Amino acid sequence: MILLQVIVGGLLLGAVYALLSAGLTLIWGMMNFINFAHGEFVMLGMYAALLALTWIGGGPAVFGPVAALALFLLGVLIYFGLIRGVMRGPMLAQILSTFGLALLLRYSAFFVFSPNFVTMPPTVLSGTLDIGGILVTVPQLVAGGVAAALTLGMHLLLTRTAIGSQLLAVAEDRSAAMLMGIRPDRMQALAWGLSAASAGIAGALWAISFPFSPAVGESFALIAFVVVTLGGFGSVPGAMLAGFLVGLIQALSGYLFEPIYKDVAVYGLFVALLWFRPQGLLGKTT
Amino acid sequence: MLLSAEKVAKHFGSFRAVAGADLAVEEGEIVGLIGPNGAGKSTFFNCIAGDTPPTSGRILFDGVDVTAAPAETHARLGIGRTFQVPATFADMTILDNVMVGAFLRHRQQGAARDRAFEVLELTGLKEQWRQRASSLGTPGRKRLEIARVLATGPRLMLLDEALAGLTPSEIQRAIELVRQIHALGVTLVIVEHIMEVILTLTRRVLVFNQGHVIASGRPQEVVEDPAVIEAYLGRGHARAARS
Amino acid sequence: MRRWGLLALAVALLAYPWLVAGTDSAAFLQDTGALVLLAAVGASAWNIVGGYAGQISVGHAIFFGAGAYLPLLVYQHWQWSPLFGVPLGVAVSLVIAVFIGFPTFRLVGHYFSMATIAVAELVRIIVGNWDFVGAAIGLQGPATARGWYDVIFRSSVPYYYIFLVALALVLLVTWRMQQSRLGYYLGAIRAGERAARSLGVPVRRYKLYALMLSAAFTSLAGSLYALKTGFIDPDSGLGILVSVQMIITAALGGAGTLFGPLLGAAILVPLQTATNTWLGGSGSGLTFIVYGGVIVFIARFEPGGLLEMWQRLRTARRGRRGEARHAA
Repeated sequence: MILLQVIVGGLLLGAVYALLSAGLTLIWGMMNFINFAHGEFVMLGMYAALLALTWIGGGPAVFGPVAALALFLLGVLIYFGLIRGVMRGPMLAQILSTFGLALLLRYSAFFVFSPNFVTMPPTVLSGTLDIGGILVTVPQLVAGGVAAALTLGMHLLLTRTAIGSQLLAVAEDRSAAMLMGIRPDRMQALAWGLSAASAGIAGALWAISFPFSPAVGESFALIAFVVVTLGGFGSVPGAMLAGFLVGLIQALSGYLFEPIYKDVAVYGLFVALLWFRPQGLLGKTT
Repeated sequence: MLLSAEKVAKHFGSFRAVAGADLAVEEGEIVGLIGPNGAGKSTFFNCIAGDTPPTSGRILFDGVDVTAAPAETHARLGIGRTFQVPATFADMTILDNVMVGAFLRHRQQGAARDRAFEVLELTGLKEQWRQRASSLGTPGRKRLEIARVLATGPRLMLLDEALAGLTPSEIQRAIELVRQIHALGVTLVIVEHIMEVILTLTRRVLVFNQGHVIASGRPQEVVEDPAVIEAYLGRGHARAARS
Repeated sequence: MRRWGLLALAVALLAYPWLVAGTDSAAFLQDTGALVLLAAVGASAWNIVGGYAGQISVGHAIFFGAGAYLPLLVYQHWQWSPLFGVPLGVAVSLVIAVFIGFPTFRLVGHYFSMATIAVAELVRIIVGNWDFVGAAIGLQGPATARGWYDVIFRSSVPYYYIFLVALALVLLVTWRMQQSRLGYYLGAIRAGERAARSLGVPVRRYKLYALMLSAAFTSLAGSLYALKTGFIDPDSGLGILVSVQMIITAALGGAGTLFGPLLGAAILVPLQTATNTWLGGSGSGLTFIVYGGVIVFIARFEPGGLLEMWQRLRTARRGRRGEARHAA
């Protein structure tokens, strides 16, 4: 029974992982660019939610959208302020740009928010449910459900709407897209906004249940790398599937071995992927 | 038979860029590859050069199966190629660019340098050896690409629109250079749009359209083939030509 | 001009400890000098794979850590001279280098960078929980020298010269590499991988060579660090600050240039020591904020670092002077 509970918990957490990685894979697929600061977007979403709850009040219905909006703006700002400029440059500049950004964001957060772990005050989402013998907390359930819905929503946005196909057109062939009247710059900025916003909401959802500090960005970045690699380059459905798998593997390793090993298992999985199947589950072999 | 490509196909998802093409090249030939834009010539080229593996089919070079081999292996075996958009190493000097090619057959820096200078002399770039590759215009860069490939000592050279965008006098110089390279014993396959070049240089031509080879033969014959005219200009013109 | 400049630099480096010996803060200045050289060794080592080969490792601490842990390990457990651990550290680093590079160098560049972070984190967690290598407490070297082989000196000056030899070694090897086929092939890979392949460059193999060379020298830097400080723990050996410092030192001076890392070290190490006294404690948040900001700035505006910026200004000035001459 406990095993089943662990599994359910892992899957629910996995949905959050899927949402937080979907943005990373979107940018990667679209611009061939890995955002090393993606984990920091997740972390900032948590603090944005905390601040919103503290200053504005209300509940998840308020701080969720606020975090999303704040991070969306940050994403767009970063695109115009930094990313656009380094895209034309050497690989060194591209990788260092977001790596340096990660340091900047992370340690600025340490400076502003203090390195201590904080928790979100209890909200309307509290309590535990007993579903057929399995205990699930309301925050866990809501986080998992909302995350799954939003990830699905992102996928539908990309594949079923006009804006989505414009985004994909730019990903496919920038110059062709330009000839069709699509502005690649705008689309890429939008993608960065979406990427940051989805990461931010995922962070906010996660923070309802767990304590956090500015240091957590780093581990979320690594989780995102694993999910994105497992899911396949540029594939949001892949990120969804991989998110569940990673959540599951993490939960099971923590349960079967010691809690230390839950992260080791995930990073070990990453290395194994690089060796044996770098294109992941749904990616193409480049 | 130096190069033998059999039923080569390359699909990108459902799009068939190359839908089954054959090519046989004897040592010492100069073969032309023509066809309208998007016909699959460059993709076919990329398969032969090892840049991208074909979806199906077989490619043999001097009896060795190179179908799935990476580009490095192709180069080592003696297949060299230039790119449609010149891919010279912009921030390296002209000499250094060619030396990268020369290092394939010459391990030591001194020997590679000597070989590079030889090739620069042949291609008329010797005076500018110290300049950065980025200081050259497109014709210069195309010439540099050819020099760089030549330094690898290829037996077969694949030229991808190497003469596009050149002025008439530059074209003449380029044709001269290609002839000189041929005289050194290099077999050539040339993709070109400029008919003059095809007619002057090649003895045999293949015509691509929509991923297939639709005609092959001597340049003069191929140019008058109705199927070829139709591919380039549409059905109306072909009918007019026939009447 | 170049040869005289080089000679002047060599003389200055050799004479430095003696030149500052007479001042009030001689010991401090000599120690700073030693630290500058050590930082330069590490950054020059990173430069081989990050600057010349263009493969950005953001987890290079793993090689530094291997080189730092092994000497102290063999001392702590078997009372051997720490010197025995130096080649062991190099061996371990080479294995890790192949382990990371072999699968990732056939893929696009980002995978390698991600892998370096993942493996560095993995090793840090494992080491931090493994008693044999000191877990969170770390390892210590000999407190007093049993002989010359424990490499313990009271003054920083002998360390300064040992580090200088190491720096000369890594720069010599880098310089020779630049001229050789390896150097040209790496330059080609950086300039255009697809074109390089078409010329027969075995891309994956050569990237691996660069990584292995880099890993070996980074390991050496780690060993030198352990020999000097006599202490290592997961933070000082494998922490992210180690990786960041190597990157920023090389990039500030000029990644892909021979003397860029030394220039970066000469600027950053004294700066860090100075700001530590204002801001309190190394690795403090403010250091990272500044480092992050500097890295972003370099990436966005001056990826070639200070040396390239200087080169550009020099050619611009020469151009203008040329124009003036023509006008006259």
